[in-house]
Amino acid sequence: MGNGPDVPFMTWTDEDLVARSRGGDLDSFNQLILRWERPIYAFAYRVIGREEDARDVCQETFLRAFRSLPGFKGQAKFSSWLYQIAMNLCRDWMRRQRRSRTVQLADGVDPAELASEQGPVESIEDLVSRRELSVAVEEAMALLPEEQRTAIVLKEYHGMTFQEIADLQGCPLSTVKTRLYQGLSVLRRHLEKYGRTPQLVKRL
Amino acid sequence: MSDTFQCGDNTALVGYLYDECEPAERAAIVAHTTLCAACAAELAALESARLQLASWTPPEADLGLRVVGARDAGREPQSALGTGSLSPALGVSTRPGAWWSQPLPAWAQAAAACLLFAAGLWLGVVRGITPGASPTVPASGVVTSGAAPAAASRAELAALERRLDAELTELRAAAPQGISGAQMLARVTALLEESEQRQQRELALRTAQMVRDFDSQRQVDLAQIQRNFGQIEGLTGAEIREQREMLNYLMRVSEQP
Repeated sequence: MGNGPDVPFMTWTDEDLVARSRGGDLDSFNQLILRWERPIYAFAYRVIGREEDARDVCQETFLRAFRSLPGFKGQAKFSSWLYQIAMNLCRDWMRRQRRSRTVQLADGVDPAELASEQGPVESIEDLVSRRELSVAVEEAMALLPEEQRTAIVLKEYHGMTFQEIADLQGCPLSTVKTRLYQGLSVLRRHLEKYGRTPQLVKRL
Repeated sequence: MSDTFQCGDNTALVGYLYDECEPAERAAIVAHTTLCAACAAELAALESARLQLASWTPPEADLGLRVVGARDAGREPQSALGTGSLSPALGVSTRPGAWWSQPLPAWAQAAAACLLFAAGLWLGVVRGITPGASPTVPASGVVTSGAAPAAASRAELAALERRLDAELTELRAAAPQGISGAQMLARVTALLEESEQRQQRELALRTAQMVRDFDSQRQVDLAQIQRNFGQIEGLTGAEIREQREMLNYLMRVSEQP
């Protein structure tokens, strides 16, 4: 560690803060929460697509991490460990959703729009806005299998390497690349179906 | 990783797309896509999908999570997650508001109420000894001697002073550990400093996050620009080839009798 009490929290590494948290220092753990709560929330939101549930997953992630701190020996990065917990919680959430047999659509998704996938393509004028594109991407992501969606989220929004994603998902590196390729291909086709052509995107 | 690229190897294209391939493989892909329209189109489509993904932002959430100890847990709102087990009792709670927005302790509320009551009484008494100022004292007639009401007022004031002394003594005894003014001031100062430090930390973190976001976006943009240059170079090469072919054709045609 080597950091005295006068050194501000922000200069400490995650490992320093974890070590101090394991010694019972709540402030250090709260600092870790401050650093990682937004990325973990964003990850959960993008995987499960519901704001309230993403917030619950985020809270539960940190609670479980805190409870499990004595067992965390630093074999992985703290952030990877957090993502692992969050990913497992997201999977549990999705499993429960499937069991409850209720169709849960992401916030802002229009069921009629999804149901009419073969219907007429929206006019280009209606599509030229970043907000609409964001909603369309969210809808398209919701259609992906969980493994592909998670791989894309970890890569695109959390900057993980192929190897880090492979470690998190417990699969070979080549599988990660395949999942990314398949996911991106499905996204592209789905968005093109709604008129989100590459040219249009570049104009935005 | 290999230093060659097989046409149609889409996973290798993904490695190129995310800049996670060996330089030799990268060069092989660049060389191949300048010649192969199908692979170049596939790469462009994947890049397009990535660009679209960049537009998706999750809604802002005021999370404010923090772990609180058993001592604090009783005073602060608990989340629905219950308590942990590392320390005597732990829970995740939302961050408390500023110190001035926190509810006052009971003893402080009682002290404030007593002070208000005393002030009200004192005002009433003062008005009572001012001729014509109080509706309870008639302005004329009944008072025959000037000394008598003054003596009565002094007696009332003395009684009031005794009562206030007694109440304040009780109040001091009831207050936990008898917090003095200096201690209170120190506590308020400490709370202010803590709040200021928290805001500074938050600001530093936000700044670091912005810098990180900016850097990552810059890297993505640079990679995009680099790839676009590669494609433009490829297109330029193709145009030059076409022009050469056209020139050759014209020369052949012109040489014919």
